[in-house]
Parts: sequence; structure tokens; C-alpha cells
Amino acid sequence: MVTELNESNFDEFVENNKKALIDCWAPWCGPCVRLAPVIEEISTEGHDFAVAKLNTDQNQAIAVRFNINAIPTMLVFKDGNLVKTLVGIRPKDDIVAAVNGA
Amino acid sequence: MIIGAGPSGIQAAIHAARRKVSTVIVGKPTNSAMYDADIVNYFGIAEPVKGSVLLKAGLEQAKASGAELVEENVISAERKGKTFLVSTEGGKEYTAKAVIVATGISRVKLGIPGEKELVGKGVSYCSVCDCSFYKGKTVAVIGDETEAALSAELMSKYASHVYWITEKPKAVKALVERAKLAGVVMKSSPPAEIRGDDKVTALVLKDGTELPLDGVFIELGAKSAADLVMDMDLMPEIDDTIKVDERYATKVPGLFACGDVIGKPWQVARAVGQGCMAGLSAADFLKGVK
Repeated sequence: MVTELNESNFDEFVENNKKALIDCWAPWCGPCVRLAPVIEEISTEGHDFAVAKLNTDQNQAIAVRFNINAIPTMLVFKDGNLVKTLVGIRPKDDIVAAVNGA
Repeated sequence: MIIGAGPSGIQAAIHAARRKVSTVIVGKPTNSAMYDADIVNYFGIAEPVKGSVLLKAGLEQAKASGAELVEENVISAERKGKTFLVSTEGGKEYTAKAVIVATGISRVKLGIPGEKELVGKGVSYCSVCDCSFYKGKTVAVIGDETEAALSAELMSKYASHVYWITEKPKAVKALVERAKLAGVVMKSSPPAEIRGDDKVTALVLKDGTELPLDGVFIELGAKSAADLVMDMDLMPEIDDTIKVDERYATKVPGLFACGDVIGKPWQVARAVGQGCMAGLSAADFLKGVK
């Protein structure tokens, strides 16, 4: 399941999961829409990290906080800290490997 | 309707037109990857031949077969029920019962110092995606074609200052004028380097001009095939290629694809063979033949 994040549950989600992958997107962004089913698939595969998405248009303060200025951007959090930022669309295996290696 | 005037699109046009279906090719042969290449490994070519020469001959052949050529970029293609509405940069609109996507693969990256390092830190390849992050900021758009012109105009609605870096604009005049009217400042010296550590701080041009700015949008070609087919209800693959069956048909009825846009190897011979098949399949589709 991909958890939908916003300004009220973002920090809680990051703190409550040892590791998390967060897909930052917006509806008018073609590459984001192409990436969405991949993120969805990753979330159903039983990896040991949580998967969420964040609409950057509705949550601009978070986008500013993490210096997001291109989407799709995937943020990887570990123990509540941002440890990796992946910019742009990429194959599923690359994303999973990047999160596992973080 | 065939989108793309490279070897695959032209061959598709020759075969479709010879089947007596109404055929239009939309695209610029000068944008084909083949245009500036010397062709050495194509059947029947003993001595190297300029790609531009083959393209010109192919287009004459397609026209003689009954196809029409519209030398403009496509800016949108929408699926409307059982038909497709294709719009060009010059404002022409066509309704087609079948579309063959043969746009090829366009170069996306510039390959200048700082570009790779600053992706996501001010360097962007999608102004539609990222425009809203640059409200009130200064940006540059790099590219000569339709997407750069549209991008410069779009960015002017968000950013406070927009430079358009284009040695020689190839988009239609109306689009260039629209960008100028929107307050975009044009620079004709090519880009040399993007500067910045954690964030883009400046763009340096070949003539030595340094433009202090916050964002660089690289928009080199025409609208990408991946974006085009999404508007025709087809989801491209994650690597932006288009999946087809053995008849070069996609999952969307009436939508076909051939050439580099469906994957590697990027070879003229392969593109031409696929164009032949896609042209015949599209003609069969139009005639109701399975």
C-alpha cells in the first residue's frame, strides 16, 4: 500500500518507519504519472521499507523543506533522516536497489 | 497520420499510401537522427550516403505514392472516441482514424559541465513538471525547437526573468513571437557551463556571458513520444519506449508505433522494416482487415 502523505502526517510517517521511500509527484507531470504504477508495485512486494507518496503541489512547504525543485523526486529516509534523493523516472529494480543500499 | 519524418515514418507512409489510404506525415526530416549521419550499412548502399540525401529521396517517393508532408512538429495528439486529434506547432489540426508514432529518440541531454551534477538542484528536463518551483525566480530555457519555445512562454508565467538560449530558433515564428511577447529575453550564444555547488547559481555562455540564475530548463527536441502517447491513452514503458505487438500495433486501437521509439538497436534498416509493417498494419486497420 502506498500511504498518501501531507503536511499533517509527514513527520509522523518518517519517524515511525525505520526506512521509507517517498515519491514526490504532481498530477500534471507526465513522468510522475508513468512512475506511479511502479511505486505502487514496489509497495506490494513486501520489502522492508515503507512506501508513500507526496503531492508537491498541495504540500509546497515540504517540497521547500527538502529542496525539491524537480519531479518526480524520490526521497529515502532512514531512522527519520533523509539519506538519499533520487531525481527522475527510473526502472523498478534501480529504485529498490537504491533504497536497500541506503 | 504518421508522426515523425525519419526513415521509419517515411517507409510507413510509402506503404500506407500505396494501399490507397489517405496518408499525412507530420514532422521535420531535419530532426531525424539519420539526417546528419553517413549511412554505410544499409542494403544496396555500397558507398557511404548522406542521411539527408536518403531522407529527401524517401520523402519524394512518399509524395509520389500519394502521401502529404506537413513539415512541422506535433505539439499535441489526443484520443477522441475512435479518432485522434493531432495539432501542429503552426496551429493545424487533423483528425485521424489511425496514428503511427515514428518520432524516434531525441537527444535530451546537453552534455555540458555542471549539467549532470545539478539535476534536481536547478537543472530540469521538464518545464511542465517543475515550473511551479520557480515562482519569482530567474531561469534559462535551452533549446531551438518547439518545446523550448513553449517552455520559455510557460516559464514566463512563473519566473520573474526568463532567458531563452537558442542559437537559431527552429520553432515556427508564431511560437517565437509569443515567447518574446511574454517578455522572454533571447540569447544566441550556445551554453557552455552550468555553475553551482548545491544549487544552480549561473549559466555561462560560450561568448563568456555569465547569467546569474536559479534554474536551467533543457528542452532540446519536439514533444517526446512518451508524452504524446499518454494523451492518446497509452502508457509508455518506464524507459519511455512504446510497446507494440507483431503488427506494430499498441494496445490502443488505431495507434501504431515503429522505429527507434519502440527500442534498440537504433538502425536504419530496422526502422525501415518496421515502418513497412506499421504502414501496412495501419492500412489494414483502416480497411477493416484483421
